[in-house]
Amino acid sequence: MTTTESSDEFTPATTDEARDFLAENAAGAGRAIFPVGGRTALHYGYASTQPGIAFSTLRLNRTIDYPARDMTITVEAGIRMDELTEILKAEGQRLPIDVPQSSRATLGGVLATNTSGPRRFGFGTLRDYLIGISSIDATGKTFSAGGRVVKNVAGYDLCKLMIGSLGTLAVITQATLKVIPQPEASRILWCAAADWQAVETALENLLTSATRPVALEVLNANAAHEIAAEARLDLPADGPVLCIGFEGATRETEWETETMTAELQTAGIRDVAVVADAEPLWFALTDFATSSDEPLTFQANLRPSRLVEFAELATSAGVSLAAHAGNGIVIGHLPDTVTTLDAAVKILSPLQTLAHEADGNLVIFDCDETWKQTIPVFGQSRQDRALMQRIKQQLDPRDILNPGRVFTKNAVSAAQ
Amino acid sequence: MPETATISTIPAEALEALRRIVGESSVLSAHEQVLVYECDGFVIEKNTPDCVVFPETTEHVVAIVKLCNEYKIPFVPRGAGTSLAGGCLPVGGGVMIALTRMRGIHDVNLRDHYAVVGPGTVNVHLTQHLKGTGFHYAPDPSSQGACTIGGNVATNSGGPHTLKYGVTVNHVLGAEVVLPDGEVVQFGGYTEDNPGFDLTGLFVGSEGTFGVCTKVIVRLTRDPVAYRTMLGVFETVEDATQAISGIIGAGIVPAALELMDQGIIEAVEPAFHFGFPLDAGAVLLIEVDGLEVAVDGEAEQIVALCEQNNAREVRKADSPQQRDLLWKCRKKAFGAIGRLSPSYCTQDGVVPRTKLPEILKFITEASARHDIRIVNVFHAGDGNIHPILLFDERDAEQIKRVLLASDEILNRCIELGGSVTGEHGIGVEKINFMNKLFTEADLETMESVRLAFNPTGLCSPQKMLPTAGACGMEHIEKSHPARRAAL
Ligand SMILES: Cc1cc2nc3c(=O)[nH]c(=O)nc-3n(C[C@H](O)[C@H](O)[C@H](O)COP(=O)(O)OP(=O)(O)OC[C@H]3O[C@@H](n4cnc5c(N)ncnc54)[C@H](O)[C@@H]3O)c2cc1C
Ligand SMILES: Cc1cc2nc3c(=O)[nH]c(=O)nc-3n(C[C@H](O)[C@H](O)[C@H](O)COP(=O)(O)OP(=O)(O)OC[C@H]3O[C@@H](n4cnc5c(N)ncnc54)[C@H](O)[C@@H]3O)c2cc1C
Repeated sequence: MTTTESSDEFTPATTDEARDFLAENAAGAGRAIFPVGGRTALHYGYASTQPGIAFSTLRLNRTIDYPARDMTITVEAGIRMDELTEILKAEGQRLPIDVPQSSRATLGGVLATNTSGPRRFGFGTLRDYLIGISSIDATGKTFSAGGRVVKNVAGYDLCKLMIGSLGTLAVITQATLKVIPQPEASRILWCAAADWQAVETALENLLTSATRPVALEVLNANAAHEIAAEARLDLPADGPVLCIGFEGATRETEWETETMTAELQTAGIRDVAVVADAEPLWFALTDFATSSDEPLTFQANLRPSRLVEFAELATSAGVSLAAHAGNGIVIGHLPDTVTTLDAAVKILSPLQTLAHEADGNLVIFDCDETWKQTIPVFGQSRQDRALMQRIKQQLDPRDILNPGRVFTKNAVSAAQ
Repeated sequence: MPETATISTIPAEALEALRRIVGESSVLSAHEQVLVYECDGFVIEKNTPDCVVFPETTEHVVAIVKLCNEYKIPFVPRGAGTSLAGGCLPVGGGVMIALTRMRGIHDVNLRDHYAVVGPGTVNVHLTQHLKGTGFHYAPDPSSQGACTIGGNVATNSGGPHTLKYGVTVNHVLGAEVVLPDGEVVQFGGYTEDNPGFDLTGLFVGSEGTFGVCTKVIVRLTRDPVAYRTMLGVFETVEDATQAISGIIGAGIVPAALELMDQGIIEAVEPAFHFGFPLDAGAVLLIEVDGLEVAVDGEAEQIVALCEQNNAREVRKADSPQQRDLLWKCRKKAFGAIGRLSPSYCTQDGVVPRTKLPEILKFITEASARHDIRIVNVFHAGDGNIHPILLFDERDAEQIKRVLLASDEILNRCIELGGSVTGEHGIGVEKINFMNKLFTEADLETMESVRLAFNPTGLCSPQKMLPTAGACGMEHIEKSHPARRAAL
């Protein structure tokens, strides 16, 4: 039974209604609750181990307060990301988090999955922007943490705890975010590399560049083709590609693209092109994580210095791959030709091993449900897992919220 | 100053065992030795620990913590003791674990932009160590010459450069922590986005109540290419704060935006001779950083915005020496206050940036109402105020008025939509503000998270949460001996 198959669904119109529902459920039936927003990432994690009720936040979508001059905004968690972007844009501001499928994804879902994209290199991730949060726990208790000021250290930072908790600790109902000004200009440089060694040299050189990119993407040829096609741009892509983004004042980004173009005149880098309209390319780069029907999508995290080695290995196995190279985050899609679990494992095993050696991990975003019996969705178990389980136990003692989704009792995780 | 009754006195055999763990000379237990550790930078409350131990390795810390568990002795981690909220006050006595000898810079990796340091590493030592590499460690609290990175992690320290670069948590990739039961765990790591809950983010700012941090993996930041440092001189504090709103409102995020009022100028100028005009109502120290092509444009915009808000003049630091001196004046401002008063209490509150004029007006009124001189130097760009209340420690009546004025100011911060601490933490100082900022349910949730880490409450008891430890509410009174004496 998966959450999406659940026939039962509850969509509260107010947080009071939401709270009462959760409190009554906890006091009575104690059915499993699956928080859902835009339903774009429900396949992530293990399937639920119990039937239950989908708890949709879609009607909790109001703007509570937007003191634009303080550069903070408080909104309900069911707000769609596109809508939030529009509200901020009207005041010349933005939340610099790249979200795939932003017309469907909700802020609550984005927080629960700790979504990020190319611009995290320059702007960081949600943990750098979430300053206050309200949630309802499995017993129907409403709690908040943080506040509405940009700097605050009163109490434990439960904002950090809720980010990436995948709806296993509480239902997020409201969030206060720090926002930043819209940049005057946004530009992307696209260039082709003769081989992976040239990519590594370019990345090392970037460490001392006079410029300050906000995004540093490495694509293999497969991914570069897909992304260029998606953005409807005619860009060279017969080998690895480097995609470097700049944002800021027009004068600044002009200088940066010129300087970077000159700096890239190193061995093995060619066809350096400034993309005329960066917007569609930003979208295509962001949506890459979710834009395929491939049999398996993963995200690996590594030391940035091990990325090229990983990319080379993955490319030789036919994986389509895009990486936030400055952060050591790689997203990969297994090729269509992989139709069996055995074939998937054969490609993934060496990649998993390499990720662990590079002090990271390999996490499955999406794959056939049955494969999850064999491939550990959350990668190698971490040492602090027992502590995480104690926290889950404290906040949701009856295991009502997304039971089994992360802390599953199935064979794979027991072995972890 | 009255003593708090100690809950524990350490059995002789436990003391012996501690000596075996770290060596004879690394345990202090004589009264005159531990007296130095009776308080930190928050001097209003005091209590001596039963002993102070100086571990040098993670294994030492594990053994100490296990021993404390065995004998049910409370323990509290301590860095440099610069906390201004009584974070390392040993409530209930017990063992103080002083981490100052664990100060190695174990690894610097520029390619992967991180450094691994011991918790006792003095903040500025890391910056000095990195000089010339093109990278630095961004969090720079004004106490950086003394405070430790472990203490920064525990309190989630900020500093003048927070406005653009963020606080400590934005620069910590991972931490090795000895949990309150003696287990060693690694939160986060050398890579980003590790699966599972963000325990690194949760640990940062937990004020020593979640365990003892024994190693920190910090993120390194590229040095900016160019700076422009300016000093805006204003007739009134009001004009200066309006200029701040103007700058932020125009979408400029300076690297730093610090305000010093006339009272502080009076202390700083005779100490450092920068040439501050003594009759100005306030000065703003403004720094923009970034690319050479960008900084002049931003600086010009800022000058214009200051002028629109009645700046008397805006000076530009025209040499690195002048910039250094300007920063020295700011960072050593606290030290200069000794010229104004024998004792002072630095408060720490936050308001939404646009409410700065209101809170500063309120501070002026509170100062008059309680006849306590208050001077201001603070991180204005973040709305983080630091009113400094000047008093004479020997005068109980004055202390009483200082506490009243502080309370009023902090309550006003809450009313204006802010918080009672932007960077110093709750510690023991602000514990009874917690139920003004948070509901009972909020605090219960925080308590339940603490129970996951610290179920016995032996680690840093009675800090931060009014419900903390097993002792319920009565400890608020207990941990406020000075307050009781004064009121
Ligand atoms: C690891 C990862 C994998 C992704 N995989 C895909 C993918 O394959 N396809 C795709 O389209 N997008 C994917 N995304 C991106 C997706 O667009 C974002 O995760 C998006 O933010 C989800 O928002 P949503 O509103 O659609 O959430 P949903 O899909 O509705 O929910 C996602 C998760 O968040 C929880 N949740 C949702 N709302 C709340 C709330 N208010 N409080 C608490 N928990 C909540 C749910 O229980 C669920 O665990 C992925 C993102 C990440 C980080
Ligand atoms: C003049 C002056 C200026 C200051 N300016 C600033 C400023 O600009 N910004 C700012 O944020 N703060 C400032 N402070 C406050 C203080 O310096 C910071 O809170 C600092 O982070 C404390 O570090 P420390 O090593 O002195 O820690 P301590 O004072 O020794 O301890 C502080 C807290 O951290 C805990 N702790 C210490 N080490 C560890 C560890 N290894 N593991 C777990 N817990 C630990 C302690 O138990 C205690 O709760 C200032 C203080 C002074 C005196």
